[in-house]
Amino acid sequence: MKKVLKGDRVGYFYILPALLFMFLFIFFPVIYNTIISLQDVTVSTLLSEDKAFVGLANYISVLQSKEFLNSLTVTVIFTIACIVFQFFFGFLLAMIFKKNTRPFQLMKAIMMVPYIIPATVNAILWKFFFATKGGIINEALLALGLIKDRIGWLNQPKTAVVSIIVANIWCGIPFFMILLSTGLSNVPKDFYESARMDGANAFQRLIFITIPNIKTSIQASLVLGIVYTFRCYELVYVMTAGGPVDSTQLMTLYSYKYSFVTYNFSQGATISNILLLILLAVGLLYIKMMGKDEVM
Amino acid sequence: MANYTKQKKISAFFLNLVAILLFVVMIFPLYWMITASFKKEVDIFLSPPQFFPVNPSLQAYTAQLTSNVFDIFQGLGNSMFISCVTMVLAASLSILAAYGLARFRIHGKKVILLLFLISQMLPQVATLVPNFLIFKSIGLYNTYGASIFADATLGIPFCVLMMRTYFLSVSKEIDEAARIDGCTSFQSFVRIMLPICSGGIAVSFVFSFLFAYSDLIYSLTYINDSTKWPVTVGIYNAIGRYGTAWSQAMAFGMITILPILLIFIFMQKYIIEGLTAGSVKG
Repeated sequence: MKKVLKGDRVGYFYILPALLFMFLFIFFPVIYNTIISLQDVTVSTLLSEDKAFVGLANYISVLQSKEFLNSLTVTVIFTIACIVFQFFFGFLLAMIFKKNTRPFQLMKAIMMVPYIIPATVNAILWKFFFATKGGIINEALLALGLIKDRIGWLNQPKTAVVSIIVANIWCGIPFFMILLSTGLSNVPKDFYESARMDGANAFQRLIFITIPNIKTSIQASLVLGIVYTFRCYELVYVMTAGGPVDSTQLMTLYSYKYSFVTYNFSQGATISNILLLILLAVGLLYIKMMGKDEVM
Repeated sequence: MANYTKQKKISAFFLNLVAILLFVVMIFPLYWMITASFKKEVDIFLSPPQFFPVNPSLQAYTAQLTSNVFDIFQGLGNSMFISCVTMVLAASLSILAAYGLARFRIHGKKVILLLFLISQMLPQVATLVPNFLIFKSIGLYNTYGASIFADATLGIPFCVLMMRTYFLSVSKEIDEAARIDGCTSFQSFVRIMLPICSGGIAVSFVFSFLFAYSDLIYSLTYINDSTKWPVTVGIYNAIGRYGTAWSQAMAFGMITILPILLIFIFMQKYIIEGLTAGSVKG
């Protein structure tokens, strides 16, 4: 920023509309949400003027509840499982589809589709895959002789968790593939050539050349992936709605349930605020990480 | 040397084989959705399943399009309206803001960028209750406006951060020259910067549209009247009533993603560009 154009004050007018909009519909609601979480707001007190201020009572009761511990556990398991597989397959696809030939580019483009179709449709598609009768997963396992009877994937706690993880892995792979393949395309080709000359094998080239050179892409994809998976909502809501017996109750679904099913707005707000704080911590870590490489 | 080329050929062959195999696995669910939508309901439950619809039928589509459970044309129309208005609103606001953040000396620029970055990471449930109450009190509840305003908050942070990198990549001398020639900052923005960054602008429009079109949770929470539902809320509500009418559900899914697929076919370059620009440089 050596030289600045004249009339810098004009700059504020460009930013103001978007900022004002975000203030009205994001920042103010977030503050409002925090206020609700410090009050006692249920359906009966919603419209009354003076809502009782209860301090951190909601936080204490939420943090002590078994349901919260369950939803946190489910969310963490879901996130870790999804990210591990999405990263692995995304990386694999990025490596394999590195070649710039037309058929490869076309295949890569088509593989983007799972990422851009609405989560609602993805959820219904995977509900069909995991259907007890007529679902291809059961049919395939039967044909391979791996199971004897059809499994009710979405009707049992453990298999339901597996189902939502598989569904989410599928739609997240393209995200990792694209981010990582951009990173890969920026690694100079002669790095590989000279490594090959020195007798490095494929595995050594991966560890000593590829990974260090795409570190930024790896970091960005992992942190963003974790944030997006941690706040996943629609896919699971449509597939299982948190059930059976809360086995797929992600924190987002848990919060929604309190606010819009049992109308305990304060509890719902408290849960979403805890979720927000977790994501904020991850987000700030990301910003700190990126800050080193990127001049804001 | 001959040995080396032979070895190279073999490894290339295996690479291609693995590539095709992975590709097939990745797109199989899409293939399965398409074929299931063209099967008769009874054929879905055949064991072993048909990998290709032996008696292709449009039954599922006709049943879906004439169903009185949810008027799908109206749903698509609602989706289009909500998404298009959101697109124009979010893209315009963010392109302006991105330009301001890329070209002017702004107090608290870092804080502003941080706010946009954070709002991109917020869980949607954190604003759901307060916005529900706000929309109720200002009379926006149960209108398209509620969905539009809520959906725009998804697109704006993404587009601001992404567009800013486009504007930053254009040399400052270019619009300085325009300013010396007597252009105001707004004129140089419209006449010089926008045409140069047209790729980024396309990305902003496409992503604002996609975010809005894909939304379920906002419209589900803020719109009560089923005649105003976007198609995602429609499909969510209909699915419960289908039970196991899978071919009909898949047909509904196909109709829902058709606009997205069309956009993807024509705008694919911008979607990939936007994903990388928006996330890595964010």
